[in-house]
Amino acid sequence: MTALLSFHKSIIERIHDPATSDLLILARGLGLRKIVCTLMKIYDSPQNLVLLVNATPEEESAIGEELGIMGCRRPGLRVVGYETASKDRQNLYKQGGIISVTSRILVVDMLQSDIPTELVTGMLVLHAEKVTPLVLEAFIVRLYREKNKKGFVKAFTDQPEHITSGMSPLKNIMKELQLRNVHIYPRFHEEIKKSLERRRADIVELSQNMTEPMADIHHAIIQCMTITLSELKRSNTTLDLDDLNVENAYFRSFEIVVRRQLDSVWHKVGPKTKQLVNDLGTLRRLLYYLLTYDALQFHAYLETLIAADNVGSNGGAKQHHSPWMLTDAANMIFEAAKRRCYLITSTSKAPKPVIDLTEDEDAWAALDEAEGLTKIPDQGKRKEKDGRPSWLPDGLEPILEELPKWNLLSEILLEAEGEMIRQESLKKSGALPSSSSNDTILVMTSSTRNCSLLTEFLASMNHAAPPGTRAQAMMLRKLRLYLWWKGELSKGDGKASFGMLDGNQRGADKPYGSGDREELSEALQKKDKEKAQRAQSRRRVRGGGPSGATGTRGEAVVKPEPKEFKLQEMRYEEDGFVEFWKSNEEALHSGQPLELLDDPMTLPDFGSDTLASDFDDNYGLLPPQQTVLIRAYSDDTDDRMLSEIKPKFIVMFEPDMDFVRRIEVYKSSNPGLAVRVYHMVYHDSCEEHKYLAAIRKEKNSFERLIKERGSMLITLVEDRREGSSANDALIKTISSRVAGGRRELNMEPSRVIVDMREFRSTLPSLLHAARLLVIPATLTVGDYILTPDICVERKSLSDLISSFNSGRLYTQCELMCAYYKFPILLIEFEEDKAFTLDIITEMKTYGKANKYPPKKQAGPPSDKPTYSSTTLQSKIVLLTLTFPRVRIIWSSSPYATADVFNDLKLNNAEPDPVKAIGIGADNDPDAGAGVNTAAEELLRCIPGITASNVKKVMNQVENVRELCCLSLTQVQAMIGKDAGKACYDFIHKGDRCACVDGVILI
Amino acid sequence: MSSSSNTVNAPPVVIPASGNNIVINPLQRGNPVLECIRNVGKEFGDIVADYQVGRTTGVLYLSLKYHRLHPEYILTRIEKLGHHYNLRILLILSDISEHKEPIRELTKVQDLLCSWPSGILPPFKACLINNITIIVAFSYEEAGHYLTTFKQFEFKPPDMIKERVDKDYHSILRTTLTSISRVNKTDVETLRTSFGSFANIAKANPDQLQNLPGFGQVKVKNIKNAFEKPFRNQA
Repeated sequence: MTALLSFHKSIIERIHDPATSDLLILARGLGLRKIVCTLMKIYDSPQNLVLLVNATPEEESAIGEELGIMGCRRPGLRVVGYETASKDRQNLYKQGGIISVTSRILVVDMLQSDIPTELVTGMLVLHAEKVTPLVLEAFIVRLYREKNKKGFVKAFTDQPEHITSGMSPLKNIMKELQLRNVHIYPRFHEEIKKSLERRRADIVELSQNMTEPMADIHHAIIQCMTITLSELKRSNTTLDLDDLNVENAYFRSFEIVVRRQLDSVWHKVGPKTKQLVNDLGTLRRLLYYLLTYDALQFHAYLETLIAADNVGSNGGAKQHHSPWMLTDAANMIFEAAKRRCYLITSTSKAPKPVIDLTEDEDAWAALDEAEGLTKIPDQGKRKEKDGRPSWLPDGLEPILEELPKWNLLSEILLEAEGEMIRQESLKKSGALPSSSSNDTILVMTSSTRNCSLLTEFLASMNHAAPPGTRAQAMMLRKLRLYLWWKGELSKGDGKASFGMLDGNQRGADKPYGSGDREELSEALQKKDKEKAQRAQSRRRVRGGGPSGATGTRGEAVVKPEPKEFKLQEMRYEEDGFVEFWKSNEEALHSGQPLELLDDPMTLPDFGSDTLASDFDDNYGLLPPQQTVLIRAYSDDTDDRMLSEIKPKFIVMFEPDMDFVRRIEVYKSSNPGLAVRVYHMVYHDSCEEHKYLAAIRKEKNSFERLIKERGSMLITLVEDRREGSSANDALIKTISSRVAGGRRELNMEPSRVIVDMREFRSTLPSLLHAARLLVIPATLTVGDYILTPDICVERKSLSDLISSFNSGRLYTQCELMCAYYKFPILLIEFEEDKAFTLDIITEMKTYGKANKYPPKKQAGPPSDKPTYSSTTLQSKIVLLTLTFPRVRIIWSSSPYATADVFNDLKLNNAEPDPVKAIGIGADNDPDAGAGVNTAAEELLRCIPGITASNVKKVMNQVENVRELCCLSLTQVQAMIGKDAGKACYDFIHKGDRCACVDGVILI
Repeated sequence: MSSSSNTVNAPPVVIPASGNNIVINPLQRGNPVLECIRNVGKEFGDIVADYQVGRTTGVLYLSLKYHRLHPEYILTRIEKLGHHYNLRILLILSDISEHKEPIRELTKVQDLLCSWPSGILPPFKACLINNITIIVAFSYEEAGHYLTTFKQFEFKPPDMIKERVDKDYHSILRTTLTSISRVNKTDVETLRTSFGSFANIAKANPDQLQNLPGFGQVKVKNIKNAFEKPFRNQA
């Protein structure tokens, strides 16, 4: 653990006092986690109970590790998740110490008094920027403050850009967290400046030009964005879309801004606008992919986009195409993207001839030479040109443009290596004192995908080739995989023949994936082994290959149908090819250790297990001078990584503001270390703009926050005592309107039983705010039980649509009608969003505040009498006709719902939680247990799984994956013959791996 | 639940000549909604409800604009309605921007109030439910659409909203996979083309997913959670 810098210390001094509650806003990259961990260490003691709230699982584990390093091990940070049983949780809370709890669980525990709220020493809230009145964290703080006035709340955030909502965002956050003090530490804070700028890292800025096609595509994408934006502005003229410019559109937050602007009319805007907003996101991603994906993958992604665009949401041809796809610019994107990959020289795409042995031999020879070129560069290069791989379809000329940064990277590596040798010699001669930093070269990229791409590149790089062709080998392999994938894609388009080849899965995961072991039946495996052996004997075996790998990774070449022959063969070929490169890589590794990526930290991130074990078995660790580490930017975890690795050379493959700061902090806290940083940016690209704009944005938001702090009216936190609320309730109850006030007073606080799953929504929090006692329980029927007779099923608009589609609502209504006297369907709209149903385009919408009638006016519905039968409105009609007893509550927001609930509860008996849980559970022993909603949702969508048998499946099968491994008979035994068949067929349609009776042999 | 015998007792309801017409209370003459009722026949008749859209279904129509001016009107109408019809609908046209309070009030009507002459809340236990279901429409068009559909669907079996109808493999696969948050149509296509079957997608390891175009860490995590986390836990 590195020492704290002076500004860290002063921050901690200011906020550590357990008597005060504070909000700390720190610029990103300056080590917020370090501060949080130091604070935790200070508070750590069995006498204290400190809760960490709102941490993601990744953060939890990283903070736990960090605390361990800091020497706070007994017991350190304990994590409470869904898996922890409630008994264990209670014990844990009693023991004290530092505990990280998922918000949803904490709310439930607080409501059920499983946690001694009054004894909690304090709470650390991460990601304070996300706190709004509606989130669970605000609910938690409210519950906490109700019973505990002494404990502290310390909130942290390092994302000032997100504190923007409303007139005075900072105030809102502080109000929700009931805080009085705020500390703002931007990068330009005097103290931070002083401690960081004493020592500057040695930074080399490298600006790389894009290749011509890339620049073309870049330009065209920007053009498409402009078109889409102006289209959006045109179709929503009344909206304030001033700050919607292309510059802003580089950012992810842009979509959120657009959505927020459109939210109030979102249900009226019609599919076209929605499409446009979506398109902006797609284009933004395309820009990013252009700079990071290799040419083939980028092209493949574009093709997927086109394929997906042609299919409407209901499977039929789509009515609304993305407008940008029809522009010239888009055409240019597609053309240029293709041109980066290959050229089609002849127009007639002749069917591939059957490759006979002799030709095959030629191919191998060519490939061998290609491989040989790592050793004899001059010959190899020439030969590769004319040695055209035989698997290439006729008329296809590979271009395979490489990303220019790859080349730059290889040059930097060379330079760093030279530097290392120079220093080594200096050290030997005693001219230079030996420093403690490692000679490791650290390459930082923006994503793990990019990591693996670079790894692959470095592993197969051909040093001697001229710039721009060094990754030829890798690209060729990718091209081959691409061609295979392309076959799959086009086949998928022909809806009828959906069934995939019963071929090998290897090809399937290979296009982008790292190699995985094939799962095959034994018989097939044997057959494959023979095949593989034959293939091997045909060519010169090189390097031996990882023994065993060939055997297990056999390919299931089942007798190919004539029309599938080409693909089959291609794949067959490809396998040999891949194996071949495997051995090739090996040669490279042993020959040139510099290229070996060998990092125990990196591998779990993206290396496949098999690869890792291979490395460990065969090669072991390398001395630091010879290692190149490739990592993706992550959060504060990078700080620790830097201090552990102590790299001397850092290559920032993509610009990243946070990481620059991390290096600053690292450099300042390790004064003796020499660091050289290479900072790569594509010249004049969105990457550059994005980097600069991000810096600007952060600065602006800090300035805004500081201004707001200066003029802030601090709200006094309202005291919500138990007594006062009871009094209020009393006054409410003695209403003279009610039977002249003769009614007996009900001293029991009015309560609502809420289903556990509903804690994802904001309503429970608001019900609590509306002075109702919220009792969490796992309900089988209904979401909210208001009285012994009234049961409410809450549906948000999107829920409503999906549960109508899945038929779930029907079953739910059926159940509610069976068990409750007054079943109620609550249709809840969102606050700030339009209070209206998604109006079908065919209908003219006038109504309130609706000045933007849908664009498409397709005439009266009489044209299409069948159309009307699918609208949401019709389904509601059908529901009321089927269940005349079901009432509907239309609520414009959760706030309104809370009011309505209070109305309904007025002077009615209170519900009984035990009874409510028991209703409809049918002696299910697991009633009341927690469920994994994501998995349940997925399961329900599978054909054959109905509301009636979903419980059974969930009890008998551990997870969806296990369900996929069951045999037909097993599935049928579980859910019945027809349903089981439907389920099994769906799951295994298009299977490529041969599963005999569902038994999977690994 | 009111029994269907109520309908039998219903006094002078004109049983329309053809069962396919919506019977409209003459009070509704001039309502723009009438224009928007299409595809079904209309006829005026002396009924207690505003619209009789089926033998056992009556609809009261209320525009919030009117309700704001005459809040007692709807109560008298409900009182008049008495116990007629099996399914009683209050069709509200939300044509004012301050809709929250009136709708909340009317929701109470739906459940709590019964035939008391004024707006005073009656004793509760006695008449808990007024047997009225509220439907909110947001435009005349939509209101007309509702009325039309009520008539058209009078004898329709609820198949449409029952458990899913058979669809083709692609759309089922799409709905199944997009039920995982952050997975979109393009991703489904990518998954399908790279893995082939649902089972293979379920068995894919995180690295393979990570390497697909358009798949970030969060998406991969969501997918893995849905496929591999157990359904039940002991929490």
